[in-house]
Amino acid sequence: MLGLLALGGCASTTQSEHAKQQELIIWGVALGPDSKGDQAVIAEFERRHPDVKVRVLNMGAGGMNPQKLLTSIVGDVAPDVIFQDRFTLSDWANKGAFRSLDDLLKRDQADPLCPKPKQYYKAAWDETIWDKQVYGIPTGADDRILLYNKKVFRENADRLRAAGLDPDNPPRTWSETLSYSKVLTSKNKDGSLKRAGYMPNYGNTWLYLYSFQMNGSFMTPDGRTCTLDTKQNETALKFMVDGYDILGGYENANKFSSGFLGKENDAFAIGKVVMKVDGNWILNDMSRYSPDIDFGVAPAPVPDDRFYQRGEFKNEKDKFITWLGGFSLAIPRNAKHVDAAWEYIKFATSTEGRLIQCDAQRDWERHKGRSFIAPLTASSEANEAIFKKFKPADKKFADAMRMHIDMFPYGRIRPATFAGQLLWDQHVKAFETALYKKKSPSEALRTAQAVVQQELDANYEKEKYPVLDLSIPVKVGITAGIAVLVALLVWFSRLKMGRLARTEALWAYLFVAPWVIGFVVFTAGPMLASLFFSFTRYDVLNEARWIGLKNYTDMFGTDRALVIKAFSNAIYLAAVGVPLGLTTGLLIALLLNTASRGMRFYRTFFYMPAIVPGVASAVLWTWVLTPDPNKGLINAGWQQTITPWLGLAPPAWLQSADWSKSALIVMGVWGAGSGMLLWLAGLKGVPTTLYEAASIDGATPKQQFWNITFPQLSPIIFFNAVMGFIGAMQEFDRVYIMKPASDGSVGPDDSMLIPVYHLFRNGFGYFKMGYASALAWMIFAIILLLTFTQFKLAPRWVHYEVDK
Amino acid sequence: MNDKLLFAVGTLLSWAGWGCAFRFAFLGISLAAKSPGLDAKKAQRGLILSGILGAVLLLVGLAMPGVRDGKELKFPLVWFAMPFLAWAVLVSGVVAISRLVQAWLAMNAQERSQRLRAAGIWAVATAVVLFLYLRDSENKIEIIKGGIPLSLGTAVAIILLALASMAAMIYVGRATAGRGMVKAVVIQITLIAGSVVFGLPFAFLLITSFKEDRDMSSPNGIVWVPKVQQTMKYIDKKFPLYEASYQGETVQVNLIEMNTDGTAQADIQRPMALRGQTFKAKMDAFKLVPKDVPIVTVKMDGSVVKGIVIEEMEDGQRRVSVLEPASLKGKEAIYPPAEVTPVREVGLRFQNYPEALEYLPIETHNGLVYLQNTLILVVLTVIGTILSSSIVAYAFSRMVFPGRDVLFSILLSTMMLPGAVTLLPQFLIWRTLHGVDTLYPLWVPAFFGSAFTIFLLRQFFKQVPMELEDAAKIDGCTYIRTFWQIMMPQTKAAIAFIAVTTFMGTWNNFMGPLIYINSPEHMPLSYGLQLFMGDRGGEPGLLMAFATMTIIPVLALFFASQKYIVEGNALTGLGGR
Repeated sequence: MLGLLALGGCASTTQSEHAKQQELIIWGVALGPDSKGDQAVIAEFERRHPDVKVRVLNMGAGGMNPQKLLTSIVGDVAPDVIFQDRFTLSDWANKGAFRSLDDLLKRDQADPLCPKPKQYYKAAWDETIWDKQVYGIPTGADDRILLYNKKVFRENADRLRAAGLDPDNPPRTWSETLSYSKVLTSKNKDGSLKRAGYMPNYGNTWLYLYSFQMNGSFMTPDGRTCTLDTKQNETALKFMVDGYDILGGYENANKFSSGFLGKENDAFAIGKVVMKVDGNWILNDMSRYSPDIDFGVAPAPVPDDRFYQRGEFKNEKDKFITWLGGFSLAIPRNAKHVDAAWEYIKFATSTEGRLIQCDAQRDWERHKGRSFIAPLTASSEANEAIFKKFKPADKKFADAMRMHIDMFPYGRIRPATFAGQLLWDQHVKAFETALYKKKSPSEALRTAQAVVQQELDANYEKEKYPVLDLSIPVKVGITAGIAVLVALLVWFSRLKMGRLARTEALWAYLFVAPWVIGFVVFTAGPMLASLFFSFTRYDVLNEARWIGLKNYTDMFGTDRALVIKAFSNAIYLAAVGVPLGLTTGLLIALLLNTASRGMRFYRTFFYMPAIVPGVASAVLWTWVLTPDPNKGLINAGWQQTITPWLGLAPPAWLQSADWSKSALIVMGVWGAGSGMLLWLAGLKGVPTTLYEAASIDGATPKQQFWNITFPQLSPIIFFNAVMGFIGAMQEFDRVYIMKPASDGSVGPDDSMLIPVYHLFRNGFGYFKMGYASALAWMIFAIILLLTFTQFKLAPRWVHYEVDK
Repeated sequence: MNDKLLFAVGTLLSWAGWGCAFRFAFLGISLAAKSPGLDAKKAQRGLILSGILGAVLLLVGLAMPGVRDGKELKFPLVWFAMPFLAWAVLVSGVVAISRLVQAWLAMNAQERSQRLRAAGIWAVATAVVLFLYLRDSENKIEIIKGGIPLSLGTAVAIILLALASMAAMIYVGRATAGRGMVKAVVIQITLIAGSVVFGLPFAFLLITSFKEDRDMSSPNGIVWVPKVQQTMKYIDKKFPLYEASYQGETVQVNLIEMNTDGTAQADIQRPMALRGQTFKAKMDAFKLVPKDVPIVTVKMDGSVVKGIVIEEMEDGQRRVSVLEPASLKGKEAIYPPAEVTPVREVGLRFQNYPEALEYLPIETHNGLVYLQNTLILVVLTVIGTILSSSIVAYAFSRMVFPGRDVLFSILLSTMMLPGAVTLLPQFLIWRTLHGVDTLYPLWVPAFFGSAFTIFLLRQFFKQVPMELEDAAKIDGCTYIRTFWQIMMPQTKAAIAFIAVTTFMGTWNNFMGPLIYINSPEHMPLSYGLQLFMGDRGGEPGLLMAFATMTIIPVLALFFASQKYIVEGNALTGLGGR
């Protein structure tokens, strides 16, 4: 009660304090030595707008964590400006998480700083559009061109000529690329690569670039159908397969590339890879670390038919095609300072802003004695200005920069879709299975297409379901609550009881009121709400829709694999970890119970791990379990014992699908001391007369343990086993902290995925409130089932003193 | 495979053989020493039996192929690399067989049928796991051969040591007082070994938090004795370091540009959180300060000299200025990093601690804000939990009111409810109350009592003698006064226990802040530490230093309140009885 009052009071005071100077919060930008440009832009912006103070969040939550961004938008504490990868804009826009900028663009038409579509490359501008509205202003841009090592070309001039190829010019078509690659690739005797001519997926192409060059796309323009499995994409993927065949297969090429280093030993810079297609962002590092490299640039090679404008490309006017990407600045839909945010975006994306940024960064690099190649932008106007002012002195870098700028108008973009991330993951999976030759290109593409299509259908089919007015259940709930309260009051007033008893009862009700209110507000209400949500599709930002049992059928349908994995992982952790922890605790307690000296000291010592804060112990154990035997405590020990004895190499623990759960279990055993205290108390409670009687009867210590100690302790064992299982099914913190940072999976091959994590990800990562609620109830059901089973089995081994 | 199987059998047999051999020796010595309370006949029989069995087992075991291969003396080891399911098959199979044997040995029909039923259940279980195991063709069992290499001397020494300790045990054991001593010594040794294993991660944590980066990784195993780079104060004329004030913080800066109007552009070096930011200020605001430069040894003119690194150049080379010998003092030369040997001495790198704090976002004032938030949460949660839970528990334990039992059983059932079920709707509630990115969602619920605490306190209140309360009532005490002045003082120990556990639970709470908190100024330590790990995971020295700092207050509390924890834990455990 007090809390709620305080809450109201505080909330109103904090809001009035901020009225004077606006604080503009920007996420996704970090200030440091490599972002002198951003800092200069912010400083200049603050100078021009003295009423605005820009704040950049520099650790954690301000980064690119989608879960934090979505939570902040839903929780109405969103940043004012967010730096966002352009191709994900449609996803956020579809959720209704970002604000459309159309009104602002229209209002400020006259403002010279205001971005105008004609300043931008069409593809880049289009990428910010979802449902005919603009959701972000493009900032940086990147496209891909071919870089080739002229020195290697020269050295192999004779061989190239012999194969009918021109050593002075790079390949222009796919088939030429393959021919060059054949000549320039060289292998060791065992078939491993010494030098690769062209690695199709080295640099930055993925399948996207080749598909774009084939006029392929991954999605129909309306965004409703996934078109991964088309003739064009298949041809594109075949080109990749052919390219890797020259290198002795994908695996051989990967073995080769796993030894690649960065900076001055970059594989392209030292001639290990002769040709690659890569983006403009690499130029700055190249000029810094390998300024002397002799390289040339050309548009990325295209399909032969396109180049010779024949066949299906007969009427195509663009000979060369590239893939365009980049970032944008956007405003979350409930940003507090929209005007200031818009002013900042206008300034930061303007040509003037871009020039300030380049200037500051160049000065910094110059001060450090380094060269500087300006980052390119999505605005053609800004790019021309930047090229004019910051044209690199070195001709080859100037050529490369020019080529990138010239190719921008021929850039194509990834499709606008809310399933962008999934499409990305699936397209990678598809081309990898094809490159490993586990499936034919078309088979692989078909499988991936089916997965994406399912997600698309699910979204579009939501319109089939009726919209729910959430105020109705709330009103019904409140009415029902009041009705119950009134009924209880009536019931109480009619009860026959004396005056004293009634006074006592009233006082008692007052005393239990905190818990009752808390129960209704924080437990019963939420439970009902959660049950209700589990039949809906609800992402908080949009209206809820009633979808009946679909969440539950999805759990056993589309999401079956992950759900089963999550629960089996948790059950594995519980089934192995809980008994192991209990036994360890019991063993220590038995030893301590017999020890005459130092009992208190040892007790403290063994209990200490159990009180180390969870986050700290997860941090510690991540380091203890480091796979590298030169660093990790456990593997250092392993390296010196098990490796010489049994010839087993140390496991990769958290980095390995087979060992990650064992790692968590080992860590759990370390904390077994918490159970030990209970055992000690239990052991103290066993009547010594029992032992005395037993030893008179000649019982051995073993018999005494199994016939006296164990039955006497069994109720505690039972209590701990039940609590341990319930706890294990609800694990979260450890996994969240210890899982290796990687793409979508939780631990290698999802080996650390556990139910609450799955719920967290669905609930707070994707804001699928309905599905997450269904998962919550599933967790509840499984816990109930397990507990029930334990209670059923209990009479078989748990011994209760009858007379207690 | 056959070879490996034979090796496995041989190894297991030889182990059993060694066991028998030691039993043989043990019985032999005890017979010779005429140890009291020994049944001589039985012992002689055992002696002969274990002697023969041991000899046979050792002979057979050591004769198996591969057990004794190579010239090197090895204690053979074998391990069965089996998937989890195979272990399950093995365990359930063994249990089934042992139940069958028990049935066969059973005294009466009732016991027999019971044992048989158990054997049947276990057999079914075995079959089920076996089926699951066979279903996945990738499952296979692998026998791994190995051995602990021993030199002849070590092997003989181990055997002699074992015999000597047996003799000593038997000798001491002859006196009844000695028997207890043997046991105590064995237990103490086991406990010390256990403490070492449990303490190692702590030692690792502490030592890592004082290590330099170069000691983090070593091919010779973990570095347990850290060394620190020796440094010297040095006023750098070429690249001077200045101290200045920036946004209220003292910062160390390099000047990157002098302007004609008497101002300069400064680039911040320290604190780390501001590193890389630049600002402009008047020249006289900068104060020249010395740098800490590393002391190294290098080769100069063919001899090894001691010097300091005065410049780390852009291309990675180091400019070294000589300190000793005096004849070369002040001479400078440039070396590639490989030729520069740092001068390091055994010691602890205490700077990891302040440096870790320096990396924290500037608005957290070196992490003080994290600590402050955690303390706010802890204090409010402890107060809230104790106040609300105790008064509710009092009503449940001592007052009579209609519906009490119904309410109490609801309370008990909520203890089983997983937090996951209410997580999402609670978030929605806090969202409508504008509680996201504030501390409210993390402490307000504590003021509504916690089911487990209420349950626990109720047990304690029930133990308070009724007479006390009755006396108070007769004196005309109100319920509140009875509760506050009579009941609460009686349960101080229990409340202390609850306070301590609540403290720890709140201190550790991670998921709550993860969901609700975004800005650094509202973050508690636990979440701050996790973010720090994401930010500076590559620098274990700093990370472990920060982790240690979050642990110390909890450990301190634990030592101060150990008595209550031990007592309270005992009582909660018995609650399950």
